[in-house]
Amino acid sequence: MSKVNPDFVEKISGFTEFNAYACINCGSCTALCPMGIDLLPRRMFRHVMLGFEDKVLENTEEVFSCLLCKMCEENCPKEVPIVENIKSIRWYINRDIFKLGRG
Amino acid sequence: MAVPIKHVLGILVDNLSIRGSVMPLSRSSSVNWAKGLNIPRGGKTVIYTGLMYQLMPSIIAMEKMTSKFADSWISNFYGVGRMVNKVISITPFMTWTNASERERFNSILHNIAKLLQVANVDFGYLYDEEMYAGALVHDEGINDVFEAHAHKVYERLKKHNVERVITVDPHTTDMLKSVYPKIIKDYQLEVKSYLEVLAESNLKPLKKLEQDIVIHDSCVYARYEGIIDQPRQLLENAGAQIIEPINTKKMTYCCGGPAESLFPSKARTVADSRVEQLASVGDKSVTMCPICFVNIRAAAETKNLSVKDISDYLVDAYCDQ
Amino acid sequence: MSDKRRIGVYVCHCGGNISDYVDVEQVRDAVKDDQDVIISKNVMFACSDATQQEIIEDIEREKLDGLVVASCSPTLHLQTFKAVAQRANLNPYQYTQVNLREQCSWTHRNNMESATEKGIKLVRAGIARTRLTEPLTNIRIETKPRTLVIGAGVAGLRAALALADLGLAVFVVEKESEVGGWTKKWGKMFPNNRLGNDTIEYLLEQVKQRENITLFTDAELIEKGGNVGDFSIKIRVKEGETVSLDVGAIIVATGFDSYEPFDGEYGYGLNGVVTLPQFKEMVDKSNGSLNFNDHQVKNIAYIYCVGSRQPEDGEIENPNLYCSRYCCSAAVHTASCVADIDPNINQYHLYRDMRTYGKYEVMFENAGKKKSLFIRFDDESSPEVEVSNGALIVKVNDALDGGEEIEIGADLIVLVTGMVPRENESLTNVLKIPIGLDGFYNEIHPKLRPVETVVDGVFISGTSQGPKTLAESVTSSLSAVSKSAALLMKGYVDLEPFIAEVDTDKCVWCGECEKSCPYGAIEKVVCDTKEVATIIPALCKGGGVCIPDCPEDAIEIKGYTDQQIRSMIDALAKEVA
Repeated sequence: MSKVNPDFVEKISGFTEFNAYACINCGSCTALCPMGIDLLPRRMFRHVMLGFEDKVLENTEEVFSCLLCKMCEENCPKEVPIVENIKSIRWYINRDIFKLGRG
Repeated sequence: MAVPIKHVLGILVDNLSIRGSVMPLSRSSSVNWAKGLNIPRGGKTVIYTGLMYQLMPSIIAMEKMTSKFADSWISNFYGVGRMVNKVISITPFMTWTNASERERFNSILHNIAKLLQVANVDFGYLYDEEMYAGALVHDEGINDVFEAHAHKVYERLKKHNVERVITVDPHTTDMLKSVYPKIIKDYQLEVKSYLEVLAESNLKPLKKLEQDIVIHDSCVYARYEGIIDQPRQLLENAGAQIIEPINTKKMTYCCGGPAESLFPSKARTVADSRVEQLASVGDKSVTMCPICFVNIRAAAETKNLSVKDISDYLVDAYCDQ
Repeated sequence: MSDKRRIGVYVCHCGGNISDYVDVEQVRDAVKDDQDVIISKNVMFACSDATQQEIIEDIEREKLDGLVVASCSPTLHLQTFKAVAQRANLNPYQYTQVNLREQCSWTHRNNMESATEKGIKLVRAGIARTRLTEPLTNIRIETKPRTLVIGAGVAGLRAALALADLGLAVFVVEKESEVGGWTKKWGKMFPNNRLGNDTIEYLLEQVKQRENITLFTDAELIEKGGNVGDFSIKIRVKEGETVSLDVGAIIVATGFDSYEPFDGEYGYGLNGVVTLPQFKEMVDKSNGSLNFNDHQVKNIAYIYCVGSRQPEDGEIENPNLYCSRYCCSAAVHTASCVADIDPNINQYHLYRDMRTYGKYEVMFENAGKKKSLFIRFDDESSPEVEVSNGALIVKVNDALDGGEEIEIGADLIVLVTGMVPRENESLTNVLKIPIGLDGFYNEIHPKLRPVETVVDGVFISGTSQGPKTLAESVTSSLSAVSKSAALLMKGYVDLEPFIAEVDTDKCVWCGECEKSCPYGAIEKVVCDTKEVATIIPALCKGGGVCIPDCPEDAIEIKGYTDQQIRSMIDALAKEVA
């Protein structure tokens, strides 16, 4: 059971606004990902939008596995800025969890 | 336990913040490639290496370390390493580089500059004042550190009154051409990759290549920057027959490189898949990105596939050796 | 009946479609010497202009009084050859089409010998029927240039305007004291955000400007007599008064009811659980912010398909199996309006399938762009609504995330309710139009004869026929207008003469036939002091259910008499020599 938390996405949107709302869950992105990680990027984005912070953090390794190669973004029928979103999640983990950056 | 992401990133961040580069490079390692080319210092138009090719030997060495550390007890000491690194750079100890590798990457930069000279492009070079553009930190989402660094880079270029920049690798091209303008107010630099500059020039081949070459597009060139036709035009004008692998142009397939520093084995799987694709259609391949070059070359070692940087072919065809 | 007939028989090759599997020459020769056959010919394409002309010349020269064309299905060319007969001054009802293609050559490709034998028998049956044909004439009815429109919602009002502009008088009967139906209650409506109330105000204004429209509110249709083109109707108006009118056609535009969830269905009855129309009203009335129970609304969960697409084998009695088609679009449009009021409201859409079809897909995308989140659930695992610590929560398995159970806290839960047929038993009884399994009025054929009912001259439109968007309702009401106008502006209707006929000598009036007729086309009359049954020609459909119910064998269908059918059976049963 995961509780929906609408405020979580705000944390992610600190630098650039997280935006995967146009996603229609077609799954093209996951099917095309060279890394072959089931969670990337569609389900990961879903967890962000629904505010499942623990699920995002459980899968930190997946977040940093993304090659940023844009194979998914190039083929996204809804033009979701996938790479920017991945970087936003990384930014949030770096800042809030790893405490990296300039403080 | 995998490589601790936090500490690897931490070391990169600290290096960039404290030393201006994600990995330390000696002055000579950065500028040695330019020996004998008589490139003037500074100028309105400069070649900008962004240190990418020069960093490759260190990255190769570091990856060898990381892949040893991954899944071993040593990975626990990354945290300690990061603390020490803030005071004394530890990265050189992790990245003993190999002299022939340094020469190999320097030769690529040398080729590129030579090609520009033959094409009658008037350009200078910032030598030891040139800085890394920050792609890795940008990619990992360390936004504030990246942005501060980007401003430093831009200020450095402005200090030298640079107006036009010729980049040599896709990542630096993307940074200076597309990313910086979004974060720097009133950004004024004309940025082109040397492939664009050469494609627009009147460069004439002196020698026919007469080879079948399998082309591997860089994700960043093809999908971020739309640089697809220029490398083909340059190779074809020199008589090469281009073979397109199954994934090509806008649908090119990643070399796995971006995951190399954190997840070496996953990265290798991706590289293997790509090499499989390339080797199934030919035995000579060409890359145009230092990261692609390193990863494709490593995965092709056991395959019947040669891997060259595009400048190797171009210098052969267009320059009097 | 004349005992000597002059019949022409044409056996068609259909360019090989028939002649490849049926020996058409053998068929021609087998019947050429049959009784009353004057001409027996093979033709390559009976339907070609040249052959049609040849048949006309044969009829005129040989003075034929019967025609048989053995070719394709009557569906394709019955009218073609009836017209050929008419052009040669032969009564078209003395023509018989024999289906030698769909029902013979195409079905027996593996056995030419048997196919040919069957072909001979079919042609002989056609000849036998033709020998017993009589000249018949269509039933012509003068039409009244007036239409009754029942219901003054958007469909009824729009129909009235269109009819009036065609020069036909219109009477509009509305049960409520105000016109406008559901549309009047609503604010912004998709796809162009025009206010529902504005649409109705505009239509009403237009109606008022037309002298040939008479509007009755607080009124009800209580009686309908007569037939297509000439109905006599009675309307109950205020204070028990009635008005009698003669109209040529009737358009039903009685609209729909919104599905009312049962107590406890997805938490219905709990404070904060509302239906889509209730929610729509809240949104329409909100001013600057959306409030409920004096609190600003922050989180809304929508549950789709409430009252629609109910499982066939579940616990619900008489489940609504259909999709209500407007609700997905209406809900995402409403969500968009909510985001415009307050972009910080979080909206979660729990849906089974998103059916914002056609151009409305854009609204689904827009809702997404305005940060509505869509969560799909499987038919088998419906969301559950609960109260936890005094707050509403919905639990649902997110099918788009591997069925993971998630919990959403919501200030409001909107049950996206569909359309159900309006309770209208007394009207249905008056009109005698059939209701489909879904409870909505039934059209004759969804593709070929939409808006028409089995009662000639009575048309159905808008949501009385089934769930529709506003735009679709208007389209369907204008479709009913064109059918009514086509009927009335010609001034008359011709009905086929294949209707029942009572032999008054045999009839003893037992009333069995009257009971069996589904169209109310039989009534009792006194004929030479004797009580007998009589057929109302305009109502009779020639269905024939009265015939076997008559103990005296006193009813026949013109054009398909017992004698004709028996002669055809005899011809089919006779061995081919």
